[in-house]
Amino acid sequence: MKGWTGYILRVNLTDKTWKKESFTEEFAQKWVGGRGFAAKILFDELKPGIDPLGPENKLVVALGPIAGIPAPNTGKVVVAAKSPLTGFYGDGNLGSNVSSQLRKAGYDALIVEGKADKPTYLSIEDDKVEFLDAAEMWGKGTYFGNDWIYKKHGRNAGVLNIGQAGENKVLFAVIRSLEGRAGGRPGIGAVMGSKLLKAIVVKGTRQIPQHDPDLMRKLGIEGLKKARELDQASGWSKQSTNAVLAWCNEVNGLPVQNMRKTSHPEAHKIDGERLNDARIATYGCPSCTMHCGITIHDKEGRESELDYENIGMLGPNINVFDLKQVGSLNYLCDDYGLDTISAGAVLGFYGDAIERGATKGDFKFGDAEKGKTLLWDIATRGGEAGNLLADGALKAAKTYGKNSADYAMQVKGLEMAAYNCKSIPGQALAFGVAAIGGHHREAWIITFELKHSKRESYGPEKAAKVIELQRIRGGLFEMLVACRFPWVEVGYELENYPKFFNAVTGLDWTLDNFWTAADRAYAMIKLHYLREFPNATRRDDYPPAVWFDKANADTEGPQKGVVLEYDKYDSLLQHYYDARGYDKRGIPTLATLKNLGLEAEAAAAAKAAKLN
Amino acid sequence: MKVTVKLIGPLIYEGGFSEKVLDLPGPMTAAELSAYVKIDKKRPTIITRNGRAVGAGDAIEDGDRVVISHIYSGG
Repeated sequence: MKGWTGYILRVNLTDKTWKKESFTEEFAQKWVGGRGFAAKILFDELKPGIDPLGPENKLVVALGPIAGIPAPNTGKVVVAAKSPLTGFYGDGNLGSNVSSQLRKAGYDALIVEGKADKPTYLSIEDDKVEFLDAAEMWGKGTYFGNDWIYKKHGRNAGVLNIGQAGENKVLFAVIRSLEGRAGGRPGIGAVMGSKLLKAIVVKGTRQIPQHDPDLMRKLGIEGLKKARELDQASGWSKQSTNAVLAWCNEVNGLPVQNMRKTSHPEAHKIDGERLNDARIATYGCPSCTMHCGITIHDKEGRESELDYENIGMLGPNINVFDLKQVGSLNYLCDDYGLDTISAGAVLGFYGDAIERGATKGDFKFGDAEKGKTLLWDIATRGGEAGNLLADGALKAAKTYGKNSADYAMQVKGLEMAAYNCKSIPGQALAFGVAAIGGHHREAWIITFELKHSKRESYGPEKAAKVIELQRIRGGLFEMLVACRFPWVEVGYELENYPKFFNAVTGLDWTLDNFWTAADRAYAMIKLHYLREFPNATRRDDYPPAVWFDKANADTEGPQKGVVLEYDKYDSLLQHYYDARGYDKRGIPTLATLKNLGLEAEAAAAAKAAKLN
Repeated sequence: MKVTVKLIGPLIYEGGFSEKVLDLPGPMTAAELSAYVKIDKKRPTIITRNGRAVGAGDAIEDGDRVVISHIYSGG
């Protein structure tokens, strides 16, 4: 087997043991890597109903056949576990030197089991695994921890770490790396914290096995050059992802005031131009060709790395239009290890719940200073509000009652990213059917909706587009593992990726092979969901009720009075299910599962719930 | 005919301005306006007129707010 190392490292924190386990080529080709590996491993190894924050949960760090190999934007890793936020499979990706270092150490994946008896960090160097004392880092933020590790292990080490939020099991705690990257939105950082695992440090000295390393080197160098040229020609990096903010504001898609409003006259104060003007440095992941992390000095003078999602959610979503203050809120989230999207959504929800009388509190929209205090309270579970909000918007809403769940802006418990879709049905569907809850990563179709379809359409073309993008963004890139930006933002051709894959594996795959593998991974995650929620219904794939509520419609502008319509959204959902081969609950049918080679997994899931 | 044109993202640096009111020499389509403000024809763009997407051949009218953006993909 070439392309894959052929090994998984299994580490048990309870008894401080580890073993190197081989996997078959059949497994490799069926699940490819990254999300595919993680979804399969966790399905096979976790019993349904386990406590996500108990020692029986497992953390998976998974790579793919081109991860860590020099080629456009291959410095990514997937982190996954049963999510404490959503209650089923959750994952995320982040840029990290772990991508190359774990592969050079000889592994395509790491499984972490059990729970340490004291704060611990793992050090992995080829076949040597050490369980080291993390006491000096415990209670500290991610910047301190990352720096502390660099001093001990060198800056080339691959590092994954958590902040106070992970330690305190905040349900939207992330895993951090490289002092600026974050992944695992559905609380994968909390899973690390529950295991008293502060960090993972990886160094490897081996060669990553490749079928034709000379060809891969040639393709990789050409690809890096081409992707950089495309970025420079497009000018994308001038504003990076935050160019979207001004556009969302113009087309009534900006999240303002917990997504009550879709645009704001002060949005220009935090847009891509202002971000570019305030730029002090730019950062990217390993092998990156188009650095997306623009740093500014925040209100307190610290260097804070911003992009659209964190500006959108920590800015207009809580009515903060001071870029330095947005930078401060973002810095604190990054240091504490809080997911910035969920943090912004949770603060927005809290402000909304207070305004609507569902709870009492002293936080108001626009109050960045109180927001900073609340982020610390959330990260440390301090005080009643902090402790409740640390469980995410949906769980907080269930406590507040008074129909507040209607405006908890989440799907399946995961807070949605910075796109206000009450008049954008296709993107609302994309959030509704994202594999792990309300994530933007897997399908973003707003420009398609406006340019190539009709905004008001609930037609099958939108469902088809969501599936097309899920296969690419949530499948191909999450399984290989690589960043989607060169393709999605500057037009680096998708056809290059099978070439990379074939050069390292010696196989002869086309994109169609990846689409099948992607469909298999999506079906696998759906079986996770069904196993945890045997009474799953299509309502689970609906966005929040407030997007259907006329009282929440824009009161002026071109989308005045427009909200989603239940019957039409339901028909759009059915288009998606039909095209996917899912039943009326949104669960893959037995025929679909058979076509994807998932008979054994279907049989396992059928013990928990009926399949059709 | 006066229209307000707003450019988004990298188009600001290509067109040399962020937002301004233009006094156009005569009737224009969306594509003609894009060329008029020196946006590369080869660049994939999405143009909105008063908040709604328009096609390349759609006419721009007096008083319109036209936004020209590179096609983004949502990060």
